[in-house]
Amino acid sequence: MPLDTSTYSLALLRLDGRRWNELRNIHAQISTQAAADGSSYLEMGNTKVLCTVTGPAEGRQSGQRGGKDNEAKVEVEIGFAGFSGLERRKRKNDKRTSEMQHTLETAYSSLLLTHLYPHSTITLNIHILSQDGSLLAACINAATLALIDAGIPMTDYLVACTAASSATSAESDNSDPLLDLNNLEEQELSFLTVGTLGRSDRVSVLIMETRVRMERVEGMLAVGIDGCKRMREILDRVVKEYGQRFS
Amino acid sequence: MPQEAQISVNERAFIQDALKEQLRLDGRAFDAFRPLELTFGDEYGVADVQLGKTRVIARISVDVTTPLPERKFDGVFQIITEFSPMASPAFEVGRPTNAEVVLSRILEKAIRRSNALDTESLCIIAGLKCFALRADVHVIDHDGGLIDASCIAVMAALQHFRRPDVLVEGEKATVLSIRERDPIPLSILHQPLCVTFSYFEEGELFLVDSNLAEEQVRDGEVIITMNRHGEVCQIAKYGGAPVEPYALFNLTSLALQKVKEMSKFIQERLDEDAKRRNAGGLLAELSAENDRPFDRPVG
Amino acid sequence: MPITILPPSAPIATAHLKHEDSDEDMSDDDGLPIQSATSIVTPGETVTSDPQWMRGHGTYVPAETTTIISTVAGHLHKTNKLLSVQPLRARYQPEIGDLVVGRIVSVQTKKWTVDIAAPMLASLPLSAINLPGGILRRRTAVDELNIRTFFSEGDLLVAEVQSLHGDNTASLHTRSLKYGKLRNGLFTSLSGAGGGILSRRGGVVRSKRQTFTLQTSAGEIDVVLGVNGYIFVSAHNKSKQDEKDVSITSLEQGVSETLYSSQNDEIEPGVAREITRVSTLVKGLVACGRRVDEDMIVRVYEGAVDLDAEEKVMGSADRAGGAKGVVEAVLGRLEMGG
Repeated sequence: MPLDTSTYSLALLRLDGRRWNELRNIHAQISTQAAADGSSYLEMGNTKVLCTVTGPAEGRQSGQRGGKDNEAKVEVEIGFAGFSGLERRKRKNDKRTSEMQHTLETAYSSLLLTHLYPHSTITLNIHILSQDGSLLAACINAATLALIDAGIPMTDYLVACTAASSATSAESDNSDPLLDLNNLEEQELSFLTVGTLGRSDRVSVLIMETRVRMERVEGMLAVGIDGCKRMREILDRVVKEYGQRFS
Repeated sequence: MPQEAQISVNERAFIQDALKEQLRLDGRAFDAFRPLELTFGDEYGVADVQLGKTRVIARISVDVTTPLPERKFDGVFQIITEFSPMASPAFEVGRPTNAEVVLSRILEKAIRRSNALDTESLCIIAGLKCFALRADVHVIDHDGGLIDASCIAVMAALQHFRRPDVLVEGEKATVLSIRERDPIPLSILHQPLCVTFSYFEEGELFLVDSNLAEEQVRDGEVIITMNRHGEVCQIAKYGGAPVEPYALFNLTSLALQKVKEMSKFIQERLDEDAKRRNAGGLLAELSAENDRPFDRPVG
Repeated sequence: MPITILPPSAPIATAHLKHEDSDEDMSDDDGLPIQSATSIVTPGETVTSDPQWMRGHGTYVPAETTTIISTVAGHLHKTNKLLSVQPLRARYQPEIGDLVVGRIVSVQTKKWTVDIAAPMLASLPLSAINLPGGILRRRTAVDELNIRTFFSEGDLLVAEVQSLHGDNTASLHTRSLKYGKLRNGLFTSLSGAGGGILSRRGGVVRSKRQTFTLQTSAGEIDVVLGVNGYIFVSAHNKSKQDEKDVSITSLEQGVSETLYSSQNDEIEPGVAREITRVSTLVKGLVACGRRVDEDMIVRVYEGAVDLDAEEKVMGSADRAGGAKGVVEAVLGRLEMGG
């Protein structure tokens, strides 16, 4: 079922009417939860994610020291709302979820200036309210906002985006890359999630799960990185608008 | 939570300083694998991979079950990874560490999701009977490079494995034992192999196949899975220090070269093993005379 | 193919962005960092690349450069040649001499661990409290056994940060009559608003007087403003006030008996109402982004009482917005009045 490719080649419009290089509508808020040290709510199209940060605080089990070498430990917990997907499904102890948690943990352990909070634990709780593609990217973006709200120092924004290669036939050379996929596109096309560090092109997270020709990767990555830059501007604006409340 | 013993501070500094001088502790080139050993067991589908001190055994077993209702025409294929405390005191049975989760996810994505194995060929009767293939990966000794070694082990074992033949008569299927009918090799569509790059110095230095000590010191890792036709099956870079994107492109071409070498090596070993089993060309004779195997004098 | 990314259909505050850019340009020209009251710096933003400035909290300098880059979202502060960025919200970072309100989390053999809203739990050693029965009494093994009679889990106390350890864990002491167990009152936590962060207009800041007594129509009430954002408002403790000027060596037996009591006294409904009013107003002040200190609380409290009285006379309708609405109204009146 070539959902995307059949009409795409004619009008160059995607299923939801976007062009190849358009992001979905992004709405973000920070400081949404009063009880948490930091929190954020992010919508990327129909993917909706809520994130709270607790800490830096003493770890849950006392006696167990946080991170190694006088650094704070980053813990990530991802929960799916039962109604988030098309089918209601139990997702306890899913390997895919633990992989996402692991990705966020390692990404933020090196991004945050954890040496400022020795032995403590920074806990990120991510709750997925609605899934429509680019899930990992949405989690990363929401977590970045929540960590900024919590006032935890980091070297730069970590922002993420998905990019795909639209040609399904291996031969055709005019394969347009696509930016910011929704769920249908994700199922149809080979895509990657790329997370970069702020204004630079430096790649911190790169996950690709589907088979694709080696030559295509470059184009997808380039589009993804440009999408990340755009994403950074959007998130930065959210933070600055929030900051005006304090002036 | 069990944890790997931390590497000492001066060892860490020593490894880093040596890398700055373009030296690895075991004297390898930056893009060199450790000596790779691959042996097959007496049974079909057992592969024992030794990559330096790391040792991984993969075993394929097969069973007949009902296919999943949503995938009636496909057989079942599972990869199960087990880290035994034998390999490292940090591993505990029943409590998966992050390394274990990552390994099983990478194998899942590299081999299962990339359709390395044609699961449709495992179907016996649509919706009723199919083969359930199970690859058990056991880590026997751990000295880094687990993902690469496990992937080699699983792919080699899959190529080595022979499944029993079946006889289908309408709704009735009979599995023929090895004595009755020569077992059939699996249909492998492509051979994905993993290459793990560890990077140091904020993404300036890339090492192939790091050992445990280097893994503990590294700034981050990039796991690239490719087949020898130049298709990327999976890339995973879980955070860590950020790297320049063009460095990642270079890695894919380097990975391709390594994957080609490894594929060739696996093929050589498979041929050798086939030759050994087929001592004196008996196998060809056997399969030709399958209907009356007891005529031939034994020996 | 040139890659350009089109914006999504979200509304874009272009005017704001442009303003931002022009600020940065200006800063490059003069070599002076951005100094705008309305804007904040965000993580990854270059504060200055002029080597004359020194980096302070909330900034970092990448290796082999002189560029100072912000690591948090907040306001920029200059102290002579030191540049620091104060985050909009952050956990409290303890400093020696801070007056904090804390809650006992656990009791150990010779110390208590206390939650003071800092990254790590603080510790209060048995040796750092005033023992009942005269200050000069030796600490005995019996005291160690009876450690729960002084403080037990869940008790609130006011203390001072005595020292900091290498990993920024604080050690507290209560060796003064100002400090000790808290009772007869109401605890309020201002999340993320502690820490005496200077840039923030709101929240508790380090000031000369962290504890004070407020005169109300129903009687006196004590307010303890912990620097860590924990606040305790209680009925005035008569005996404590009387003994305050007396030298601690002549501490009377009667005082020390009530020192570690967890039993609340009888509080009149009028006093209880005023206590609630003060603590609600404090929350409102934080919601309005105002500084919480003695002067502000006294002014807002008096304004709120007047407002309340007027509204009762006028019989006007309920105000929307809760505590924040009340404080906004009071502040508006205060500013109009001069």
